[in-house]
Amino acid sequence: MENFSNETIDISSLPQYQEVQLDPMHPNYWKVIVLNICITLIFIIAVSTLLFLFNEELRPYILYASLAIIAFAVFLFVIFRLSFQRRGLAVREKDIIYSSGILSSKTTIVPFNRIQHVALNEGIFSRMYKLGALEVFTAGGATGNIKIHGMAIDQANKIKELLSESLNNGI
Amino acid sequence: MESSQFDFSKPRRQSAAGIIFLFSNTLYTLIKNLAIPIIIAVTRSDNSFFYVYVGLSVMVVLVAIGAYLKYKYFTFYLNESDDEFIINEGVFIKTNLTIHLDKIQQVNINQSLLQRIIGFYTLQIDTAGSDKKEGIIRAMDKASAEELKRRLLSRTDNREKSKVISSIDANEESNSSNPFLKLSPLTLLKIGATSNYGQTIALVIAFLAAGFQSLKDIFDIFEVDKDQVGQAFQHGITFLSIGIMIVVILLFLLIINIARTFIKYFDFEVFKQNHSLVVNSGLLAKRNTFLNPHRVQVTTYTQNYFQKKLNLLDMRMQQNATVSQSNKETKSSDVEIPGCSLNERDKILLMIFNEIPTKGIQHTPNYRFVFLSIVFWIMIPGLILLLINNWSYPLLAYLPYFTAYIAFAATMIYYSYRNHRLFVSQDYIMKRHGIWDIDHQILLPYKIQAITIKQMLWHKAANIGHITCHTAAGDISFKFGNYDTLKNLMNYWLYQVESSEKDWM
Repeated sequence: MENFSNETIDISSLPQYQEVQLDPMHPNYWKVIVLNICITLIFIIAVSTLLFLFNEELRPYILYASLAIIAFAVFLFVIFRLSFQRRGLAVREKDIIYSSGILSSKTTIVPFNRIQHVALNEGIFSRMYKLGALEVFTAGGATGNIKIHGMAIDQANKIKELLSESLNNGI
Repeated sequence: MESSQFDFSKPRRQSAAGIIFLFSNTLYTLIKNLAIPIIIAVTRSDNSFFYVYVGLSVMVVLVAIGAYLKYKYFTFYLNESDDEFIINEGVFIKTNLTIHLDKIQQVNINQSLLQRIIGFYTLQIDTAGSDKKEGIIRAMDKASAEELKRRLLSRTDNREKSKVISSIDANEESNSSNPFLKLSPLTLLKIGATSNYGQTIALVIAFLAAGFQSLKDIFDIFEVDKDQVGQAFQHGITFLSIGIMIVVILLFLLIINIARTFIKYFDFEVFKQNHSLVVNSGLLAKRNTFLNPHRVQVTTYTQNYFQKKLNLLDMRMQQNATVSQSNKETKSSDVEIPGCSLNERDKILLMIFNEIPTKGIQHTPNYRFVFLSIVFWIMIPGLILLLINNWSYPLLAYLPYFTAYIAFAATMIYYSYRNHRLFVSQDYIMKRHGIWDIDHQILLPYKIQAITIKQMLWHKAANIGHITCHTAAGDISFKFGNYDTLKNLMNYWLYQVESSEKDWM
C-alpha cells in the first residue's frame, strides 16, 4: 500500500490516439483486391454469357445486362479503392490501433494486456505477394476482435512475436 | 484420515443411482420426441398392437443397456500431484477431458426434480477461456459432491485469498451461516406481479404454438370434424367476449408470471462464503450458483416504474460470457437477484466493488439520437398506411388509432432518449438505458477488453460519434455523444487499462 498514490490526472496530458500517424495498407494488397474483383467479374460474365447463349428470349436485353455489369464493376472498384485507402494501422508501445470504414470512420484499439491470442491467415493470392491477414482476439467477443488484411508477412510475424512476448510477460 | 468415500485420487464412477437417472433421462427425451408417432401408431393400427408393444419394450431395454454402459464407462478422478481433474467417458467413442484446477472458474451443484426424488445432485464445472471444455458429473450424493467442489476450488480459493488482505477473513467466516439476502413469499409475489413480462409472454406464445401443433395432430388422429370446431369458434366471438378474453388473458399472464417466479426463485437465498456469494434457489429444481466478485465483468441493476414504487430492484452480475456462448447452460454463469431493496443493492455493490460506485460526470447524447427511431417507428409506418390509403383501401376511419399510436411511439422514443446516459467517474463507467425497465450497467474500466469509436461521415460537422466498450460480458455502447469528449474518454480508459496491474478475470 505504501507505493499507492492517487494524483489527479490531466486528461489532455495522456497519450492521444487521434494524433498517431496510421500506416496505410501494403500497396501490394490493392493488387490482391483487384485480382479478387476480377475473378468475381469473370465469374459473373461467364454465367451471363452462358445464359445468353442458351436462352434466346433473353437476347434483346444483352445491352442492358452489359451496362449493368459494367456499372457493377465500376461500383466494386470504387468501393474497394475507398475502403483500401481508408484503412490504417498503428502499433503503439502498449496497444494496437486499427481504423477502417467507408461511410463511417471506425477505430478499434486493443491493449496488448487484453489480447487472448493472435492468428495469421494467408490466402492464395495474398501468399503470392507475401501478404497475410492478422487477426487479434480478445475476450470481448467477435465485436472486440480485429482483423487486419493485407499486411506484409514479415511485419505481421513481427507484430505477432511482439504480442506473444507481451502475452508471456503478462502471466 | 480420508475415508474412502472422499478419496478422489483413484478413478471412480458416479453414484449407482446414476444409472436410474441416465435411464430415465434418455427415456424421457425419447418419449417426448416420439409421443405423437407412438399415439398415432397405437390408435391407427387395428390389430398390430402386439408389434407396437414389442417395439416399445425393446426400446426400453436398449435404453436401459445404454444407460448402464454409459454409467460403466464414465469415470473421474483428481490427480492432485498435477492439479488436474480428469473425466473419461464414452462407450464407443472415448473422450478424455482434462481440466486444470487453475482454469476452473466455478463449480455448480444443481438438482433437478427427478434428482431430488432420488436424492442426487449434478456437479458442473465451468472453466475459464474460450475453449468450451466443461465437465458435468450427473449423479453424486450431496456429501461427496460438496467435498469434490471444495477440493476443485481449493486452488482457486488460495489464489484469490492471496490477493486479498487477510484481516477481513475472520469476521466474514463468522456470518457465513446466516443468509445475506433472503426472498420472502411476499417479495416473490411482488416480483411476479411487476417484472419479466416479456419472458413470460414469449414462453406462453412458444407453449401455445407447440400446444396448437399437438392439438392439430390430435384432431387429425381422431378425425374430429373440423367444421364443427370452427363454427363453435365463430359463434363465440363477439365484442363482449373479446373484451372478457383480453382481461382473462392478462390475468392468465399475471398468474403464469407469478407462478414462474415462484418456481424459479422459491427459497432464494444468498450466502457469503469466504469472498464469494453463493446463491441457492428453486422450487422444483434446486440451483446453486457461485459468484466470485473478482470475476464479475458487468453489474446491472434494473427497475421499472412499479418496482420503484415497491422499492424493488432486479440485479444481474455477468461473469465471463465467452465461456458459455455455446448453449443454454451459459446462463448459469450469470447470477440474477430478482428482487432486492435499495439497501440490499448497496450491500451487494459493496461486496463486489468494496464501495458503492459513484455516478460521476453525466454525458448526454445529441438530439439526433431520436432521428433513426422516428424514421423507423413513425415515418415508415405512416408512409405505408398513406400508400395503402391512396392506392387500395381507404383507412381514414382509423386515423384516431394511428394518432394514438404516434403519441405512444413518440413517448417511448422520448423516454429512450431521456434514459440514455453515460456516467463516468475515475473508477467506474455507468450506463443507463431503457424505456420501461431502466437498466444501470456498471463496469470497471480495467475490465474493458477493447474499445471502438465510430463516426458517420455526415456527423463530422456536428461533432458526434459512438463509442463501444467491449467486455468479456458483452458490449456497452454510448451513442451520439460529443466526439471530442468521446475521444478523451477513449484515451482515458485506454490509459486505465494499460496502466492497471489488476487482473480482469
